[in-house]
Amino acid sequence: MARFDSLIHQPVRLRLMAALHALAADEQVDFQTLRDLLDVTDGNLATHLRKLEEAGYVAVEKTFVGRRPRTYIALTPRGRQAFREHVQALQAILEQAATDDT
Amino acid sequence: MNPTPVTPEEARRALEAADATARQMRRMLAHGGLPYFLWIWGTVWLLGFGATHFFGPHDPRTAWAWAILDTAGAVLSFAVGAWLSRRLRSPRGGALGLFWMAWLVYAALILYFARPLSEKQISLLIALFAMMGYVTSGLLYRSRWLVGLGLTVTVLIVLGYVAWPAGFDLWMAVLGGGSLLAAGTYIYYAWR
Repeated sequence: MARFDSLIHQPVRLRLMAALHALAADEQVDFQTLRDLLDVTDGNLATHLRKLEEAGYVAVEKTFVGRRPRTYIALTPRGRQAFREHVQALQAILEQAATDDT
Repeated sequence: MNPTPVTPEEARRALEAADATARQMRRMLAHGGLPYFLWIWGTVWLLGFGATHFFGPHDPRTAWAWAILDTAGAVLSFAVGAWLSRRLRSPRGGALGLFWMAWLVYAALILYFARPLSEKQISLLIALFAMMGYVTSGLLYRSRWLVGLGLTVTVLIVLGYVAWPAGFDLWMAVLGGGSLLAAGTYIYYAWR
């Protein structure tokens, strides 16, 4: 079912969710890769991730590779569902506009 | 009536942005490390086959050049693979590394039991095995680019072996190694 989600709709968060949605359900991407892909600062990405994590849309896992701390991020099943529904809502807006025009 | 504060134009732009980011992510995951591997092995071929051509196949310098280049290529490939695996954690992460290890073992066994072979035949078979690896891993990871590159270089290898056997090593250095280096450079700049 289509459901517009204003939390997801913010431009950076929408692209963040889209990037994570492109991964398989059992895959996680690291923080730096996501930051470079979205072309945002560390602080900016951390802020958006925190909001999405609070909503239960993303899972953030902090770990160590050797002695270096690394943060891995993945979409939760709830986040995957919310993103799909948000995309459907956007598509519905476009379809509605096309219907109104005819 | 639009039930949300989003206009159709904003919805269209949002969908385009989401789609572009998802494509960028998929491309980065599929090809993110490819340029580095192509640069490594393009350089190995360029210098190794160049040494074979200019020093001759029986010169000790050629043997040393290949030993050093192959070892450096393997070590660098392993390092790049380990670096790439940190970017994405996936249950299938080690599959490509295992694929190339299996490929290496089978290629070595086939070359060993196919003896006696001339130096040209050994060069030809190693190059063909490498391209077989490119094509099959490309099919495995649904990379049309890798399959296309593997097939193109295979045609160049066979053409050089059949049409110009005397200059095959030089052909492999310039066209084989050069193709890998050029493809790596193109992917690096075009797919950023």
